[in-house]
Amino acid sequence: MFKILASLPPLIFSYPKRSEKNMVKYIVKKLLMMIPMLLVISFIVYMGLRATGVDPINFLVSPEVLSANAENVEALRESLGLNDPLVVQYVRWLGDILHGDLGYSLDGTSISATIATRLPYTLELAGYSLLFSTIIGIGIGIISAIRQNGIVDYIGRVLAVIGQAVPQFLVGILLIEIFAIKLGWFPTANRVDPNATNAFVDAFRHLFLPVVTLTIGMVAVLMRYARNTMLDVLNSDYIKTARSKGIPEWKVYMKHGFRNAMKPVLVILLFRIPGLIGGSVVIETVFSYPGIGITMTNAITSGDYPVVLVTTLIIAATMLICSFLVDVFNALLDPRVRLGE
Amino acid sequence: MKKIFKRTLTLLLALAMTVSLLAGCGSSSGSSDTTAAAEETAAADSGTETTSTSDGVLKLAVTTGDGSSSDDKISTPWYNRTFATNLMFRSLLIADSTLTETSPDLAESVEISDDALTYTITMKEGLKWSDGEDLTAEDVVWSIETAQQAAQVNSIYTTAFSYIESLTYEDNVITMVLTSPYSDMSAILAQFAILPKHSLEDADPLSMESDDFWTDPVCSGMYCVDELNVGNYFTMKINENYEGDAPKIQSIQVSFVSDYVTAAQSGIADYVFGNDTNLVEALDAMDNYTGYSIDQLFYKYFIFNMSGTDGNENEAMQSVEVRKALMEAIDRAALAALYPSAALLDSGVPRTDDAYDGFEWTYDLDQAKADLEASGYDMSRTLRICYYNNDQTSVDLINAVVYYLEQLGLTVEATLSNDGTTDLFTTRDYDIGFKGKSAFSISEWYTEYLSTDSLFCGIFGGDSDFDEPVAALQAATDTESRNEALATLQALEEEKVYKVPMFTVGVNVYVSDNVKVPDGVEFCNPYYSCDLDFANWELN
Repeated sequence: MFKILASLPPLIFSYPKRSEKNMVKYIVKKLLMMIPMLLVISFIVYMGLRATGVDPINFLVSPEVLSANAENVEALRESLGLNDPLVVQYVRWLGDILHGDLGYSLDGTSISATIATRLPYTLELAGYSLLFSTIIGIGIGIISAIRQNGIVDYIGRVLAVIGQAVPQFLVGILLIEIFAIKLGWFPTANRVDPNATNAFVDAFRHLFLPVVTLTIGMVAVLMRYARNTMLDVLNSDYIKTARSKGIPEWKVYMKHGFRNAMKPVLVILLFRIPGLIGGSVVIETVFSYPGIGITMTNAITSGDYPVVLVTTLIIAATMLICSFLVDVFNALLDPRVRLGE
Repeated sequence: MKKIFKRTLTLLLALAMTVSLLAGCGSSSGSSDTTAAAEETAAADSGTETTSTSDGVLKLAVTTGDGSSSDDKISTPWYNRTFATNLMFRSLLIADSTLTETSPDLAESVEISDDALTYTITMKEGLKWSDGEDLTAEDVVWSIETAQQAAQVNSIYTTAFSYIESLTYEDNVITMVLTSPYSDMSAILAQFAILPKHSLEDADPLSMESDDFWTDPVCSGMYCVDELNVGNYFTMKINENYEGDAPKIQSIQVSFVSDYVTAAQSGIADYVFGNDTNLVEALDAMDNYTGYSIDQLFYKYFIFNMSGTDGNENEAMQSVEVRKALMEAIDRAALAALYPSAALLDSGVPRTDDAYDGFEWTYDLDQAKADLEASGYDMSRTLRICYYNNDQTSVDLINAVVYYLEQLGLTVEATLSNDGTTDLFTTRDYDIGFKGKSAFSISEWYTEYLSTDSLFCGIFGGDSDFDEPVAALQAATDTESRNEALATLQALEEEKVYKVPMFTVGVNVYVSDNVKVPDGVEFCNPYYSCDLDFANWELN
């Protein structure tokens, strides 16, 4: 990976000369460290969910059914393995996971099938949000820094405060109320319309409001961060030196300012990805969007702990992977990071 | 100049935010009452304009947010019935809107012997499933027998089928012999959906509802599934093998949604229902929906925990005088007003029923105080209430109950349980429990008193006084014997005060003006199936 990064034009990354061997060791070490972390997370989540004392069977059947149908319900409990000690259940579950079997939800649906259907929807939502928020957030942030105290900077700062202060679910509800219910421009729910004739238009109509909702929150963070780091860079001595050499202003901004300001922004960007996946839990519920988020919400509501476990692990794994990427980026871009040699 | 510009900009932004907030919050204003069947919602003064067109497709919605249904398959009709599954799966009989009167559906006729023990059911000839296979008596027998082995099946079927001594068939005639008469059997048979043996015989009855069958089920009703798009919708097309009158509506689209109100407001649901205050207020305020108010036996009631988890008695609740005094201190009429269509109740028998004995719980705080004092109740102990419904109306109700009981001079602690079944029936760390029960019939309310009821016998202490009259009620096949049994049961209820009903909560059904419902159609409890003359429904 660092070879690929090294081959990139020096506009964005200035790849420091590090020992390849040490870098490989560093990456492998970081990857290996993820395994015990995931195990610990899975154990805590599993035990945490089961230690609540809530009997999953009670979510499956009503008290009336439990009373009238006790024998069959007990047989169901046995077939689900719920009578075994918790540790045994955990080890069995972990063994299945390690064999690539994500298991079944309490209502018998294959979790692999559920993830295969839902994850692309969430990635689509998070991906567009990441793309638009990056372009808009960094764009406005840079312009705000270049034109400090100008109109764009002023509006940008106000919007950044609003974007961070207003909860995303409220933004979502307001957008639904105005653009879906009052104006009827967009649907209020789902991702696919049975009567759609054009897949692109259908995707645009269903994705627009949730993507805007997620984007607003993320733009606010990125905008502020990009502006502040760009301002720091623009006030640096080497920028002044560049200007004094008579380098054109646009070149000062793009070559010297932008590429140096983007390093910390990229770190923030990576750390926002798990937040986007996690944040989609709320947004997908608000928009009845059939991704991982609403699956997790529904699983929590219906006490479906196998699904909660797997979806939580996916979010945790995303967080760890992003954290790993941040470490690797930092190691590649900052020579001060010790590789453990 | 720059300062003025900034101030103007700030003002404009603040104005824009205020307008957005007002626009977002403006839809829930106004409410109107739905007091009679087929009453049009009076919302002309505060109506919410919603643009919707029928597109030649009837639009239904299934809520998935409450965990009652999933969005990756069709829900089994053996648990709760939905509008969509009512159109896909038929029963031997079909009920009217009261759910008590039945007429033949898959059955040509049902003959009941004089002793009410033998049911001779003759199937219609030439019935077919949507895949072209014959629908036969064998499917009926297999369905009933399999339901008895299933875990996730509505308790009304388990209870009724436990009375079956033998079930046999020859050609198209089924003979069902009961161990003792069961008065609701015909009504239950009108709800029980017959499923195709040839598609499901290999499925495990314990987890049959998750079989792949439910992604594209073989149907017996007017419609069958055309396409299922997981997480989004399923569509239904006319079942070409349906032998009855072909429906006028050609296609149905069912969307998976989080809530009915948003679905209705955005025009993706022509039919919604509920008894939640917010839903009723929102739908009443929409002038393109017609509301129908339906009575149903959805009991809201208190139970007194007579025994603790250690097997010893809960001493504080042993005195019937204490239990009566606590109930006298609660203004039930005020609590009923929290729900849009609640009907006060004094026993399991609604006040409108012929068998109602006239007893009424009265709110009398002074009398309650005097009775509690006379009972010798330890006023220093904390009275513990346990409830599990976390909707705002339930929380408000419990807060009001706590207030009323505190007026007696008691210290009251209310706990919202996240697992009502375990806390109410197993842990039992409370004095008073508050719960709901959607009952199919009055006898279902009284079966909770049975000393053999595996859940309630732990709470009420296994009192067997109710067993005989409950059995008499279940066996009552004529009005006289039914009313006699109910009179005995009401008297026992008033004497024992193990559980005290507050009210029943009705349900409101809303149909959009895209749909033309035939004259004379009466809606029933939407969790069950009844004859809605759907073949003659039209789209405007």
